[in-house]
Amino acid sequence: MLDRVISRDDLHALIDGLALQRRLIGPVVRKAPECRPPWRYFYQPVDRAEQLDLSFSYCVYSPKPFLFPPQETLFQFERVDGGFTARPQLADRPTALVGVHPCDLNAIQLLDHVFSAAPADRHYRARRDNTFIVGVDCARPCTDGVFCADLDSHEAHGGFDVMLYPLDGDAESAGTTPGRYGVVFGSRAGGEWVRYGRRGEVPTAADERTFDRYQRQKRTAFPHALKTPADELPQLLERSYDSLLWEATARRCYSCGSCNLVCPTCYCFDIKDQTTLGGDGGQRRRQWDGCQLRGFAQVAGGHNFRSRPAARLRHRIYRKAKWIRERTGLRGCVGCARCDRACTARINTVEIYNQLTEEV
Amino acid sequence: MTVLEAASPPAHAGDSTYIPLAGMVRRVTKLTALEQLFEIRLPNGRPLGHSPGQFVQVSIMGVGECPISIASSPTRPDSFDLCVRRVGEVTGFIHRLRPGDTVGIRGPLGHGFDVDELHGRDVLIVAGGLGLAPARSVIQYILDERPRFGQFHLLYGAREPAELLFRDDLTRWRQSPDVNFHLTVDRADEQWRGHTGVVTTLFHRLPRLDPDNTMVAIIGPPIMFKFVVLEVLARRIPQKNVFCSLERRMKCGVGKCGHCQANNVYVCTEGPVFRYGQLKALREALE
Repeated sequence: MLDRVISRDDLHALIDGLALQRRLIGPVVRKAPECRPPWRYFYQPVDRAEQLDLSFSYCVYSPKPFLFPPQETLFQFERVDGGFTARPQLADRPTALVGVHPCDLNAIQLLDHVFSAAPADRHYRARRDNTFIVGVDCARPCTDGVFCADLDSHEAHGGFDVMLYPLDGDAESAGTTPGRYGVVFGSRAGGEWVRYGRRGEVPTAADERTFDRYQRQKRTAFPHALKTPADELPQLLERSYDSLLWEATARRCYSCGSCNLVCPTCYCFDIKDQTTLGGDGGQRRRQWDGCQLRGFAQVAGGHNFRSRPAARLRHRIYRKAKWIRERTGLRGCVGCARCDRACTARINTVEIYNQLTEEV
Repeated sequence: MTVLEAASPPAHAGDSTYIPLAGMVRRVTKLTALEQLFEIRLPNGRPLGHSPGQFVQVSIMGVGECPISIASSPTRPDSFDLCVRRVGEVTGFIHRLRPGDTVGIRGPLGHGFDVDELHGRDVLIVAGGLGLAPARSVIQYILDERPRFGQFHLLYGAREPAELLFRDDLTRWRQSPDVNFHLTVDRADEQWRGHTGVVTTLFHRLPRLDPDNTMVAIIGPPIMFKFVVLEVLARRIPQKNVFCSLERRMKCGVGKCGHCQANNVYVCTEGPVFRYGQLKALREALE
């Protein structure tokens, strides 16, 4: 059921209104001098809706950095009288993330869960609570190699204030900008944004029929790549801990951590201090860390609990497909295949699952 | 981005989970060439409120933070002890602390020993190396609450005599009728008159253990676990009565940053103390 339908121009007017109150972030094609075609999309700050391309294929990085930045200050400290004082740093700048695909919305739901679990991470929550999210649905796969449909993360299950469904133009001809969107409200703030903006119309019966057709088409548009259904991956992995495949695949791994870097559900971090030149103050900062990097599980004194690349690869795959799912009931992997595209050794997640399937 | 003023710095949890309290170093004791013992007092003498086996994140502003086991019992609430081995940058700076200095403390963190479950039972503690530090929180607890426990056996092994920790305590425990204490070193030196051999070689000194009524705590390096567990199981003690404490790299200490994960378990929140039966299913835990 749609809450509204809205024309492209009206949507742009609403987004421009949003940009008056919030920092506007969305998908932008980057034609930087150092880049060559095919052009790639990135989430980045813009001033106006027309700078966004809401019919983008995929963004190289997910919008995660705007909720959980690669580096951030947790608190500032000063040394005084032999002791210290500390002031937390919490981001309260209102932000709007516009144009988030279902895979990344599913990933945001996982981040929300992890950082809200007691004790809540105030630094994440401050950003999240100040972020308004407009999702945009994918009528068909954004590129080859994705397996979002296997994980049912080609559909949005929440994590948005407003969800947009491209109702014409997009399904038939690739790359054209849809003229109309179906709108679903995900929060009170989302509903108020559209209603108080006095844009869009109440959907007619014909609009609902168009939406039904859109959803039917979508069901056949996405390929299924996994030979083991996602719900059964935990059991598959349970049986595969001692498979030689981990060593065989990890032989190619450079432990570069590119997969961690682009993953929308990776949330591991390190904590480090920076001091002022005088040493009388500074910041305690956190930065992303990656479980594929060699020293990730190494303790002082030198013992490394996952010293072999195979142990680290297995840990990552288990975490994505088994452990997070078992612990939270949420998706640890959303099938966006960013890890596969980023891998310097062309290690392919779907291939791993399918090879394990054939082994047992 | 704006900086919000904390209501009453230094703060904890309410403003940011990551801001430590300012602990004051009361006393520093050199234990070995590598280990020093720090007695820490929290602001206004407030008790840490820990249970034996828990840990704190200790920080030096501008250098960083590292997880350290609490080496004293909550039955001595005025202050708490941290035994710190100098192995890295942060611990190097901690070793420069002197009485009166301030040190950042976050905690208590993690899941310690469930002392209620130990009450009324016989207890065997097996500690290896630096594992004696967290073990000491349980040892002190039992000695302070002695009537609440049955027989109390303690086995401690160090690599060599120079690495023995808490020498004053060792002497006291050896003379105490409250604990059946045995000590060994892997490699003796010329002055050593005691037992030589790994810690499992002390097991024959134990009296017959009552399998169903004996609780066992094993704290030491990973290599020690399976050998000690084997000795314990050979004495027919059920797996559910055996507890182990794990070491891991930890940054956040609150189950988020991922470093301490063993399989699907966050050692920092669900551990560091685990029931052995639980650990068996965690393949990454004992590798």
